[in-house]
Amino acid sequence: MQEEKQQQPTLHSRRSLTLRFDIPISRTHEFWDALGEGRFLTTRCTACGNESFPPQADCPRCMSDRFEWVDIGREARLVTYTYVQVTPASFVNDDPYTIAIGEFANGIKVLAWLEGVPVERAKVGMKLTVEARRSSEGNPYYVFVPSLPS
Amino acid sequence: MNRVAIVGAGHSKFGKRKDVNLAELAFESIKQAVTDAGIERKEIKNVVVGSAGGWYEEALPAVVVNEYAGLRSVGTMRVEAACASGSAAVKAAHDSVATGESDVALAVGVEKMTEVDTMTSVELIGRAGSYMWEFENYGMTFPAYYALYAVSHMNRFKTTEEDMARVAVKAHHYGSLNPNAQFQKEITVEKVLSSQVVAWPLKLYDACPLTDGSAAVVLANEEVARRLTDTPVWIKGIGYSSDSANLSKRDDYVGLTASVEAGKRAYQAAKVTPRQVDVATCHDCFTIAEIMAYEDLGFCEKGEGARLVREGQTEIGGKIPVNLDGGLKAKGHPIGATGVSMMVEITKQLRGEAGRNRQAPIKNGIGLVHNVGGTGHYAYVTVLSRGA
Repeated sequence: MQEEKQQQPTLHSRRSLTLRFDIPISRTHEFWDALGEGRFLTTRCTACGNESFPPQADCPRCMSDRFEWVDIGREARLVTYTYVQVTPASFVNDDPYTIAIGEFANGIKVLAWLEGVPVERAKVGMKLTVEARRSSEGNPYYVFVPSLPS
Repeated sequence: MNRVAIVGAGHSKFGKRKDVNLAELAFESIKQAVTDAGIERKEIKNVVVGSAGGWYEEALPAVVVNEYAGLRSVGTMRVEAACASGSAAVKAAHDSVATGESDVALAVGVEKMTEVDTMTSVELIGRAGSYMWEFENYGMTFPAYYALYAVSHMNRFKTTEEDMARVAVKAHHYGSLNPNAQFQKEITVEKVLSSQVVAWPLKLYDACPLTDGSAAVVLANEEVARRLTDTPVWIKGIGYSSDSANLSKRDDYVGLTASVEAGKRAYQAAKVTPRQVDVATCHDCFTIAEIMAYEDLGFCEKGEGARLVREGQTEIGGKIPVNLDGGLKAKGHPIGATGVSMMVEITKQLRGEAGRNRQAPIKNGIGLVHNVGGTGHYAYVTVLSRGA
């Protein structure tokens, strides 16, 4: 069987390819700016009132390009989660991580890492708070942490 | 619209195929399909190649494959619908015959996933969602996407890790009877449960492998089909749908809306009900995916998928045998080839040629192919039938 024959001759290509992308964010850069100030914003269409996350400059409901930024607060509830033990090639320097989907009061759902709680203690329905982070390269991102008991 | 039949089917050995390059691998299936159909290659005017690509060296797989197979001056394209690229290729080929544009068309699915290292493959599949919001900062992986569904399904319906393990055990059992399957060995529930966690609650044995493989089908209109064969397998109805790129945009995580929609449309187009289906292939890239597919396709009520597995209802002798070729889980999942491979399997099942110990009893002459792209990003359901 083929899979047992590991000695097949192959030609290891001389050419390699590295891909890094410059991703335009100009139409919604306010999201990243506000995140740096600790606020979590998203877009609301001023024509039909539809709120979107991820933020988008053009409304998927009515196609209007008029929108405003709304602060959706920082509190969410855990909808579902997983603990990623086998990570992709470009995450080799990261420890395994927990990924969560949290739902905000306005019904918007957000996917991010869940930090500050071992996965065994994560529970669907638990209260989460979204927090801003900055990568070692200086890029902003956000994570969930368990909310402190109020 | 013309009726369209599958008149030839070809399938390569699936696995880690270091012995062949992309074109050689595709050729194995093309040669078999053309020979099985008993046609001349010059009758083929349209070739659609399903391939996701990125993990092999060629950028234009369709023309590379056609050149090697001596298919000259054909209308052609490569189509991508992630793991449903194969079904998308069959649909595109089908449509060209249905509209009368071609009398005969060829759909090929091919993927070579092991020419890059494993972690690079994990990376490329992990990007199959919304790159900026799921991958860039969070490193989603393919198992992680489905794990989000598994946790939700377990939480809502008390589906257990053991239930999911049973799906893998069934897959390996039938895989062991399929000479083209990547895995040829039976496994136990204990072995699944004790395998390495990849994205909790999914473990290594809940996941399909990385696979090299190809499959091909020759499609023909009724006139050509009648000339070539006494056992045409008709494409009775195709339904397809899609869902958001971002998982966070989904309403719920206990089933795939795109599968439900595609299923409804396919049943309607084919004028059949789920109860009439004799045999099916369901998209089991992960064990939880097969459980959700039973529910999404109406083989049982929502939340009852695990019970179907526990009762053995999706094995031969049960209500609806599923994945008697070993499924993606044991047969392997060469992404672009999978949908075409499913068509080959159901064609053989309906012809009664599936082989010893894995032939389903065929009563109504109806088979179903369910093929999902990504995590319910795309879904295709194709209903096939034998007989007049």
